[in-house]
Amino acid sequence: MQHNNTIKDRHGSRLKICLVILRTFTAKDLQPVKILLNPENRASGRPRMKTVIVVHGGAWAIPDLLAEASMAGVKNAAWAGDAVLKNGGSAIDAVEKAVRSLEDDPTFDAGHGAVLNVDGEVELDSIIMDGETLATGAVASVRNIANPVSLARAVMEKTDHVILTDRGASMFAERIGIPVADDLVTDLERKDWEQSSSYPVGVGKLFNTQWGHDTVGAVALDSLGNVACATSTGGIRNKMVGRVGDSPIIGSGGYADNRSGAVSCTGHGESILKVTLARLILFHMEQGKSATAAAEASLQYMGERVKGCGGAIVVSSTGDWAASFTTPRMAWASIKEDVLHCGLNPKEDFTQMLK
Amino acid sequence: MLPVVVVHGGAGHVPKEIAELSTIGVKEATRTGYAILQKGGSAMDAVVEAVALMENNPRFNAGRGSVLNVKGEVEMDAMVMDGRTLDSGAVSAVRRIANPVQLARLVMEKTKHLCLTAEGASKFARSMGVPEVPEESLITDYAKMRWKKNLEPDANPVECQMGKMGTVGAVAVDKDGNIACATSTGGMINKMEGRVGDTPCVGCGGYADNNIGAVSPTGHGEAIMKVTLSRLILFHMEQGKTPEEASDLALTYMKERVDGLGGAVVVDPKGTWAAQFSSLQMSWAAAQQGELHFGLYHGEHFVEPVQENI
Repeated sequence: MQHNNTIKDRHGSRLKICLVILRTFTAKDLQPVKILLNPENRASGRPRMKTVIVVHGGAWAIPDLLAEASMAGVKNAAWAGDAVLKNGGSAIDAVEKAVRSLEDDPTFDAGHGAVLNVDGEVELDSIIMDGETLATGAVASVRNIANPVSLARAVMEKTDHVILTDRGASMFAERIGIPVADDLVTDLERKDWEQSSSYPVGVGKLFNTQWGHDTVGAVALDSLGNVACATSTGGIRNKMVGRVGDSPIIGSGGYADNRSGAVSCTGHGESILKVTLARLILFHMEQGKSATAAAEASLQYMGERVKGCGGAIVVSSTGDWAASFTTPRMAWASIKEDVLHCGLNPKEDFTQMLK
Repeated sequence: MLPVVVVHGGAGHVPKEIAELSTIGVKEATRTGYAILQKGGSAMDAVVEAVALMENNPRFNAGRGSVLNVKGEVEMDAMVMDGRTLDSGAVSAVRRIANPVQLARLVMEKTKHLCLTAEGASKFARSMGVPEVPEESLITDYAKMRWKKNLEPDANPVECQMGKMGTVGAVAVDKDGNIACATSTGGMINKMEGRVGDTPCVGCGGYADNNIGAVSPTGHGEAIMKVTLSRLILFHMEQGKTPEEASDLALTYMKERVDGLGGAVVVDPKGTWAAQFSSLQMSWAAAQQGELHFGLYHGEHFVEPVQENI
């Protein structure tokens, strides 16, 4: 399977080079031209984009208790994704790697550390999307899988479908040999679940006060100019059995298109769905807005129209990126040209040189 | 120009005798929706009733008459959306329910969620007192025959899907200017168990916003999802395109970018409507100002008084 992927990538890259050259004659933006003329890039024999990875660990009222672990977690994930991109890996490999790292970190509500539904079970949602072809894979309400993002990728690569749900997703996982994980629930989550009485309280607490977890996600731009996104979540504590949030829904939990960029969303899932937040941000970018302006305009609209709070990470196909949120906090980190940016509180932007 | 309701019975290519029955079905659904609107009923009531009627009609791939998954079972998707508030409700991969569109409406009205899937949706249906129907009552001989045919190793379910009228849907604007959409489907022939198509995904299988309009699409679900077809059409309308121009632009893009065929019914807040498709056929009908419009092939547009044939 690994072998096949490599061959496919190699064919893919040849095609992509042609596309970049064509774009220099037709593209509205001058960015690819600049890259072609850059002596450093010319020396390496092929035009290369400056790679970007941006990750988030959820937009909500992150308690001080989890602040440090959240920051460490998103930085680790950004490093993991950046390492893939630096080695010439694809955007889709980078976002999968970054999101797997967040799923494995019990600080976040995805994979290990997911919240429990009203019956005390874990149900996970995830999506991954390739901006070159618009190919997408997603799983909804899947149980006992450590890395739903990798199962979503398998749906994209090994089936004719985009979304598999519930038992169908589990059966598919079993068929392709993904092991069952029965250690996803942390002691902290079990305790919190026992204390929280009902779902409406859960929503209030998650987004307005200090308790709960949320979605994780990543977006990336690789050296060939391809973008990708991935999102993964355990949803909202005490959700009804079978509740599907925004995360596995294309255009809401995430969207990636080489012609504009990639977005991964987080926040109140029902609100994100109502405004198809990821696609809305990219519509604004198609109209000429910067990544930051597009994310802010869309989040403000979501607040006004459906009274929902949330956040998004964005990368454009020219490398412009953003991390915006209307919740009290969002843990995020990005790496571009060996500079790491990260933050947790509004308007916070710490930078760190990696070299 | 108000009220108006536009209905589709799926995009595809079917033999003449089936096509005629589909046309009869969409006309009947359109008259039902229009009667509700004329009595002052809401756009939401009109689209749900119109779609429920087509779910009950075995000629359509929704409710009774749904296509079967690879195991020979019925799993259905449906969604509704209210353009006033952007509230939406959906069910995916739900079994043994006669009218998934009504269950989707209950998700919107009785829960804090937008989408319930599979077993969770069934559990919710039981808690709402929605009767469970025997699986056999949803399965037609036609669906069974096509399921068997597509189990053969050289079968092409995507192509075969286009040989049957697909998904059903409706959009409407009521006298108060409120807009709604509803879509319901049995999905794709011989799909994997648990496969969810575009229908229950907001922005893909439908979208309604009082400020822009409403869309209900049909066609190859995976392609519709990749371009978020409903939201894309409305986006073009926000940029000043008419419903017809916006649908054509988006359907052409879907064909070029992801090689997918389909169709859509669309309305804007003023009552301008369109029924466009890139497939060979789409059975559609619309009612406005006492007239019933309908068609099946490209360029076909018949008009008769709504009252006729009642």
